[in-house]
Amino acid sequence: MLTTPRLVAIALCAALNFAIGNIVYLIKLPIYLDSIGTILCALLIFPDRLAAIVCAFIAGFISAILTGLVLNPFLPWFSLTVLSIAAVSALLTARATYTFRMRPLPVVPFAGKVLLYGLITGVVSAVVSAPVVVYLFGGVTGSGSTFVVALFLKTGQQLLDSVVLAGLATDPVDKIAEVLLAALLYRATPREFIAMMAPAKPSTA
Amino acid sequence: MTPNGAVAFALLVIVGAMIAHDLAGLLIILAATACFALASRRAIWSALAWSAGIVLPLALFMMVVWVGIVGRAPHEIAAGLEGSRSAATMHVAIICLRLFIIAFTVQAAFLHFAGWTPLRFVGALTLPRTAKKLLVLTLSLIDTILQAVDRARTALIGGGLITRQRSWRNLRHGWILVQTVWLTVITIVVGRTRDKWPVEETLARLEGTLAARVPGRLTAPDFGWIALAIAAGVAGLR
Repeated sequence: MLTTPRLVAIALCAALNFAIGNIVYLIKLPIYLDSIGTILCALLIFPDRLAAIVCAFIAGFISAILTGLVLNPFLPWFSLTVLSIAAVSALLTARATYTFRMRPLPVVPFAGKVLLYGLITGVVSAVVSAPVVVYLFGGVTGSGSTFVVALFLKTGQQLLDSVVLAGLATDPVDKIAEVLLAALLYRATPREFIAMMAPAKPSTA
Repeated sequence: MTPNGAVAFALLVIVGAMIAHDLAGLLIILAATACFALASRRAIWSALAWSAGIVLPLALFMMVVWVGIVGRAPHEIAAGLEGSRSAATMHVAIICLRLFIIAFTVQAAFLHFAGWTPLRFVGALTLPRTAKKLLVLTLSLIDTILQAVDRARTALIGGGLITRQRSWRNLRHGWILVQTVWLTVITIVVGRTRDKWPVEETLARLEGTLAARVPGRLTAPDFGWIALAIAAGVAGLR
């Protein structure tokens, strides 16, 4: 399952997750975009779904650990969210790999699939992240969605409900942007690199 | 102290901080972490400042939300009580101290290995060899990507596509920077895996280097720190 080219892809996607956090910081964008490498890893290794889930999770987990050591010590707590994003990407988003690479770009199917899969990824990610946000951060993470949490709390909602509702309101936007960027990067990836991701064939000699 | 001992201490302290439920318990765990940091015999101010720099903005934000806007603690909301701002302040203090301990513990562990290279540190950890290889490859590729980011960012700023400050242009064209970086790096990686690494036997040499660095067993100081972390965690629960 973990052939050398796949190990290189995992390392590359983990490094991409780490570096995109850096890019977002440098050009001061109001979004996270910290899972593009995870989604892209699943797209690169598809159609081997199990390997795609495992490799995408490893890429996301390594980047969470390294980012946790260097930039944000609270990121490794979201490892379960990384697993859920890897699973959704390998089982759903990766079904659109053919559309993502089609030339010329089929705008409507491309946009539709990005929106649909981004929305599903965002909903799953919001639900899985909520318990961590509640327990570790007490519901307040410092992102803009916190004010949505405060609004729900003020109306008498329970903390976990408020965090889930706020996540459902904000996460899909971030994840749609991430699926879009992952799809564009996948589209730009040389065919030679994707061909290297195929499982190693047993030698017949 | 060995890297394995430092990782074990850090994990135990973090678990202790997560299950401690009051300010006194968290202060006991913080004291244990401070001892651990001081034992590195390095200046701990940078570690304290880094951790405070991460937690303080969050603390201010939490004060605004919990004390300013909501005005009561989560357990009061759950019980349907009117609540008080002092309970909300205590809730914020506990959460922030817990987050500070997590950040400071990671930095304190770093202090013990300040002069080590990442390869030496990874090699000394007890991990499967594939995991070590992945970590080393990722660290190497992060350097490559960050250099590509610097070059591409400078070129795109020079070309007037993005700006140094926050701007709509960055939101509109930021993806070009991401795509430029990816195309640069993927070309480098294809070249390395196809030609450079096989010729230089890079992966085989990396395997050999990692195999040569056999992780040491836990030492007496490791067991001492682990015992302190467990004791602090148990004391924090009382």
